[in-house]
Amino acid sequence: MTKKPKKITKSKAKRKGAMKRLAGRFSIATKSRGTVKQRVAALAKVPLTASDSDEDLQAMLKVLRDKNEPAEVRLAALRSLQAATFSAAAFGSFRGDYIVALRDLAEDPNPELRQRVLGILAREKDGFAQKKLLEGLKNPEKALVPPEKALQLLSYDVHGETYQVARGIVTAAPNAIAKREALRLLAADASSAPIFEKVLRDKNEISENRQISAAALQAVQPEKLREHARQIVLDPSEYKEIQAASLTALTQFGDRAIADDEELLKRVNNLSSNAPTKVKQSARRFLSKYGR
Amino acid sequence: MVIEVEINNNADPGARFLSWTPSPCRIRMTNPAGAAAPTVNAEITGKSAAGGGTVVFRKGTSGAFSNSIALPLPTNGTSVPFFVAGKFGRPSVTNGDVTIQAAVVSTVVGSVPVMVRIRKNANSLTSGERDRFVSAFAQLNNHGAGRFADFRDMHTAVSLPQAHGRPGFLPWHRAYLLDLERFLQAIDPTVSLPYWRFDQPAPNIFSLDFLGASDSLGTVQFSPTNPLRFWITDGVQGINRRPFFDTGMSPEGLLTEVQTLALGSQYRVFRGMEGDPHGLAHTSFGGSISSVPTAAKDPLFFLLHCNVDRLWAKWQRRLGRFDAAQAASYDSNSTNPPGHNLPDTMWPWNGVTGGTRPPTAPGGPMATSPCVSAPGPKPRVQDCLDYQGTVGALAGMGFDYDDVPFV
Repeated sequence: MTKKPKKITKSKAKRKGAMKRLAGRFSIATKSRGTVKQRVAALAKVPLTASDSDEDLQAMLKVLRDKNEPAEVRLAALRSLQAATFSAAAFGSFRGDYIVALRDLAEDPNPELRQRVLGILAREKDGFAQKKLLEGLKNPEKALVPPEKALQLLSYDVHGETYQVARGIVTAAPNAIAKREALRLLAADASSAPIFEKVLRDKNEISENRQISAAALQAVQPEKLREHARQIVLDPSEYKEIQAASLTALTQFGDRAIADDEELLKRVNNLSSNAPTKVKQSARRFLSKYGR
Repeated sequence: MVIEVEINNNADPGARFLSWTPSPCRIRMTNPAGAAAPTVNAEITGKSAAGGGTVVFRKGTSGAFSNSIALPLPTNGTSVPFFVAGKFGRPSVTNGDVTIQAAVVSTVVGSVPVMVRIRKNANSLTSGERDRFVSAFAQLNNHGAGRFADFRDMHTAVSLPQAHGRPGFLPWHRAYLLDLERFLQAIDPTVSLPYWRFDQPAPNIFSLDFLGASDSLGTVQFSPTNPLRFWITDGVQGINRRPFFDTGMSPEGLLTEVQTLALGSQYRVFRGMEGDPHGLAHTSFGGSISSVPTAAKDPLFFLLHCNVDRLWAKWQRRLGRFDAAQAASYDSNSTNPPGHNLPDTMWPWNGVTGGTRPPTAPGGPMATSPCVSAPGPKPRVQDCLDYQGTVGALAGMGFDYDDVPFV
């Protein structure tokens, strides 16, 4: 009978101690105490359940907004706040303030912070961020991030205007990566099918773009891809990487009619024993599905 | 003489999959030719291929397992029950790499190939296991036109209150993973969901042949033979994932497994793992996986959550927290919104829309399994606790983890 109250007291004391330690960590994280390294570590270690109160979240937001804080500390605050969006019950009421702060930070002088903030907003389908990103693509002087990053972020919520800009970038790309990102963004745009066909069959085009075009064509006009993939596999002068990707497409998404294509089967049989490893591998998978 | 064995009490070959949890089976004589008495003694054993799975047996719902059991079989065809389980630490690698055999006087009179199908550490999969998983996932997505779209639509900003920030976080995601896994198994029954142990280096996961390697922009690259290169969600090709850590190592600042399991012995405390390590694992990256509305666009999401579920399973096994009737096993209270108390059905499987639930319920009821009946088409929170059927024999959900035993 006497042991029970003692246990409760012990447990209460333990909990109180833990809360004190948490408060200490939170204090280091948010109140400019300690070295940058200590503060970054403290921000990562503050258990996010402690951020259940609006007050704690506001304190973290203050660190994020403060341009006088070291960049590492601000980025760590952003990461912890973002992690809280997955869990904190209180985040719902705080969300408005968070989004407003992110919009303000979209033009922060720190490019890494700017990019991360725009990424979060883009994934929230935020109209403000989309407008800024599109503006930057049309007028590079206003760009907050490089064109390839802007395209990547715009891909979270594609609109007609985005397609138009992306098609323009495919034809007159500021750099090779921007062209690649534009092709990825267009994947569901049926009217871009001729672009995909052209890129796929262009042996002077970089391999990555040809493979992206193959996948995009598979999505918008699968019968066209099957036709091109067949020709690519049959063409002895084709690049092996493209042949491997074509075989992968035919294996994954082709229909049983492929099993009746004697010429193709003969060619794949040959590739299965007489080609670089990746082509052999994809040829064997193809034959395990369609071979007789 | 011919003997027939049914695994999981089901004649369907699709039911011939086992885990560490005992599966109910039955055996009967279908042709007694040659039998001289009303019963004959059959010896049931498992025969493993080299490196294959291993099975163990027992006659009833309790007691020790052994490598073989002897059962008296009536020649009139009456079924005799027994139980079989995968031997802990000896999972299968391929389908049928272990066979259950019935022998009468040293002559094999019946056999059934089975697989000890276990959720494994993704970093340690064989190339065959990895390729089957990746291929099934790509087919489920079917370049953006497949059933994966439903799973993508289940985990969005709208569904946030159903699945996060409250006690139902762990049960909801357990059901979500199981639903997806069953769809993958409908494509390839040998596949099980692997986990990303985010407190250990897992370089094999972030490779061109598995879940891809990110370039400096955060665009994930795949090898030409990887079908995930055809991955499309929301009409856009590819995956955006920008690791903030060296993918040859593990992310920094997350609670380790030991620390997570030591969070507390009460579920209401343990569920704090939703923030650390779960939330911080998500934000170890930029890109889709770092935001709730887009996280499920990246297949890595499911491996991350499989590890979260494994941690819960391990905690449950260590402390015996399977019984919904025990307060420490869950955190029901009157302030929880619908979907977070034990008797509540969970969205979207319950089909309830409007009010406190989201406006649509994508995906329909929980996918069925030929191996087990739980958790049913409209799982309740309480149906997702006893995943091994420790409390109720029929509650087992048909999955197990490579490092969480049944006993």
